[in-house]
Amino acid sequence: MKHALILLGVLVAGMGLSVEAGLLGPLGEQVGHLSATLSIFLVGALLLSLALVFSPSPKLATLFRQPRWLLIGGILGPIYVIVLTLAAPLVGIGMTMVGILCGQVGASLVIDHFGWLGSERRKVDGYRVGALVMILAALWLM
Amino acid sequence: MLLPFIFVLLLVGGAVLAAQSSINGRLGAKTGVIESAWLTFVMGAVLIFLLVFFFEPTHQATLFSVPKWQLTGALFGVVYMLTIVFAVPRVGTAAATVAVISGQLLMSLLIDHFGWLANAVRPLDGSRYLAMALLIGAIGLIYLSHQQRQRRLINQPS
Repeated sequence: MKHALILLGVLVAGMGLSVEAGLLGPLGEQVGHLSATLSIFLVGALLLSLALVFSPSPKLATLFRQPRWLLIGGILGPIYVIVLTLAAPLVGIGMTMVGILCGQVGASLVIDHFGWLGSERRKVDGYRVGALVMILAALWLM
Repeated sequence: MLLPFIFVLLLVGGAVLAAQSSINGRLGAKTGVIESAWLTFVMGAVLIFLLVFFFEPTHQATLFSVPKWQLTGALFGVVYMLTIVFAVPRVGTAAATVAVISGQLLMSLLIDHFGWLANAVRPLDGSRYLAMALLIGAIGLIYLSHQQRQRRLINQPS
């Protein structure tokens, strides 16, 4: 039951991600794609800084005791948002999201298969390959 | 000519997203949800600011002159990041990915269909319905793969 609630929350967060993409496309056309991306990260960083100051048990110090490669998530985010702002006005949100999806599922297959990024090693199975093929077909249709 | 290039870009964008949610989920479990999301946004802001400062061509409109509602995208990004960092260690990457993808598709097809948020209208037609069915099928397969793996883990505890 608790899991179902968490999953519902994640689903709503996913819907929000598409709204973000829908807002970023037109904004990028007006003020420039990089500036549009900056607005996302700057506002996010400022809001979370506030949250951090008032969080009940701040664990900021533990952040820098982690292996360095665990901290590169912040470098990957901008790459994703830049791609989003460039592609959305040209091919539409639907097509953009399917392309992203394709890369996401493909990469998660590869990450799992080779056990990269500290994730546990899982062999590729028929289901996952089937899923990738169906996504490719959907992309071709859209 | 441009389309294959955009497609490759989109693939890279998706691959990066998969890598990011597994890295951030792990980091969030080791430190904290807010700490992990904070680091992601601060590093992103620093990098993009440098890019804007040196490479952005001048536009007539600026972030300070556009209608304010166009700036609300960040709120959705923050909620997404916090949710992912919270959810991945609790429900697993596969289930979280399936849920995010379902939400994204649902909303993106709605946005295109109605042209919400000042986007061009791209109505749902036969081939898009078929594409949607294929995507739902794909999500189902990812779910099945996850289920089967869970069963294997229960049957053969290592």
